[in-house]
Amino acid sequence: MRVLVIEDDAGLRAQLVENLKDAGHVVDAAADGDEGVYFGREFDYDAAVVDLGLPKRDGIGVIKALRSLGRSLPVLILTARSHWQDKVAGLEAGADDYLTKPFHMEELHARLNALMRRAAGHASPVITVGTFALDTARKEARVGETSIELTAFEYRVLEYLVLNSSRVVSKAELTDHLYEQDFDRDSNVIEVFIGRLRKKLDPDGDLSPIRTVRGQGYRFSPDVPD
Amino acid sequence: MAQRSRIGLRARLLLTSTLVLGLGLGLTGWVLDRSFTASVVAGAEEQLKLLTYSLLGAADEDGTTLRFPSTPLEPRLDQPQSGLYATVSDATGELIWQSPSLQFGRHASIHLPRPPSDKKMVPGTFLFRETDGQFEMFYRVIWETEGDQIFTFRVIADQAPFRLAIAGFRRTLMLGLAAVVAALMGAQALAVAWGLRPVAQMASRVEAIEAGRRERMDEDYPPELLGLARNIDRFIDHEISSRDRYRKAMDDLAHSLKTPLAVLRNALASGRIDDLKLLREQLDRMETTVSHQLSRAMAARPVVLAGRCAPAPIAERLIKALQTAYIGKNVVVEQHIAQDVFVRCDERDLMEMLGNLIENAFKYCNSKITIAAESAGGIIRLLIDDDGPGVPPEHRVQVLERGARGDTVQAGHGIGLAVVVELASSYRGALAIEASPLGGARVVLDLPGAV
Repeated sequence: MRVLVIEDDAGLRAQLVENLKDAGHVVDAAADGDEGVYFGREFDYDAAVVDLGLPKRDGIGVIKALRSLGRSLPVLILTARSHWQDKVAGLEAGADDYLTKPFHMEELHARLNALMRRAAGHASPVITVGTFALDTARKEARVGETSIELTAFEYRVLEYLVLNSSRVVSKAELTDHLYEQDFDRDSNVIEVFIGRLRKKLDPDGDLSPIRTVRGQGYRFSPDVPD
Repeated sequence: MAQRSRIGLRARLLLTSTLVLGLGLGLTGWVLDRSFTASVVAGAEEQLKLLTYSLLGAADEDGTTLRFPSTPLEPRLDQPQSGLYATVSDATGELIWQSPSLQFGRHASIHLPRPPSDKKMVPGTFLFRETDGQFEMFYRVIWETEGDQIFTFRVIADQAPFRLAIAGFRRTLMLGLAAVVAALMGAQALAVAWGLRPVAQMASRVEAIEAGRRERMDEDYPPELLGLARNIDRFIDHEISSRDRYRKAMDDLAHSLKTPLAVLRNALASGRIDDLKLLREQLDRMETTVSHQLSRAMAARPVVLAGRCAPAPIAERLIKALQTAYIGKNVVVEQHIAQDVFVRCDERDLMEMLGNLIENAFKYCNSKITIAAESAGGIIRLLIDDDGPGVPPEHRVQVLERGARGDTVQAGHGIGLAVVVELASSYRGALAIEASPLGGARVVLDLPGAV
């Protein structure tokens, strides 16, 4: 997932970026509100983490700007304790959740994952489609009762496709949301991963969970058995 | 707009009184002058009337005409240029007698103004008029002689002596009024100076307090200013006490951070830095301490002049915001606080207290929260109920007492409650935990009510 971090404290920003990258996200970081809005306008993110006290343009201004640009990505705000006025103003401006500083990174991941899942229309952390089940909390995939062994990157590709299963996802979009910017776009790495995922999820080839839509991309839509 | 209110108090008072004084005394002078002039003219009229009666009494019938004795009726009628003259004429307008004062010298040829027309002169009535420089009295009489003769008596007085009297009166009046103005203005200036002295004293005391030469405003003020002086003193007291609290909070903070710092330093010295559990414990302790002391310092902000504030709209904003953050939990919240319930509290602080309490309710409830208010004896009691696990009776006091000493606070939950306890007590309010009819916890926040 591609995440935008807007935080002016260099130490905390570096930690956030590192932690989110370790969790398999593609991360862009901005140090002030204007830069944050620039990133939000230029690129498509799956979620944003926004500090409320920012130079140049405060967090509430950033959220309002993003929303007025038509960006509906989930936004998690970071606030100091004892600033309910700010929290409420942030949520009223269009943020989706808040986290009080200091916080534990596990809490941040849990909140972000829940926000992205909710944005995709899933209330439970376990997303079930037919016999397939994706546990977004434990980062696991199952077919029926069988747990599927996936690498971290394979899981991320699958998760992105499942969370966006209502539409066709292009190869370029997958690259954008799962790879850093300097990734070589012409390589066929994505095709290789899709191929491996298909084999692992559907070794017999009778469910075809990941369909190729010619000229457009991929869509997660397994046959639902009667 | 701001410029309009910059006219000084002294200027306002003096300007108003000068205006009123000028108008009042001007009017008085005008009225006095008019009535004196009127009485002088009335006096002249009366005098001329009396002289006419004397002439009528002195006249003797002589066939178809009248004769007057040569002895003087009034000395001034015999004296040339005396300013008092008289004539008598018959029905044809022919003079049959004139006073000696008209007969001599240049005034023998004195030109008398034309008498009024016959229509105006009704026999038996006096006719008084002012002509150029003179008062004149006409009296027409029908003399019951042979053939009922008509005679016209005319008495003339020079206005000069009357004008002199009026001018003299005016001079005296002006002098008198000027003296009154001077006296009143002086008194007014004294009154303003005396009346404004406490204000000036107040200003100089505030200056002295700012400069550190004085500590309080004290109470020796007129009742109108006493309230202000007391408010300033209360403000100063609060300032001092919050400065003390702040200093104490800083001391507490420093002290309570020293223990975990010592533990960490010892761990480092003994080479046990790989003990991550210890590291985490001490960091949690430091974090909790900092949060707790910050909340205490925040509660020490001035609240003496807190305005009134309605909990209902604040609760509603918080509920809406928290519904967004807890969207997956599907919490049903019933908000029963009426819009016209008010508490004496700063809006930010009320939002802080309600924010922490309602957030706890969202965190711990299963699916239901109710928020209500009761009013009793000037206290507004805010009740926040949830259907969560609740707090066992033996832990209720302990949960709230975590505010007592920062370094004993456990990490995690409870910091929010400590903030509420501190804030509520700074408003002379209170926080308690009870069992809720919904099955979970009921948090009771008492705050002073406001009308």
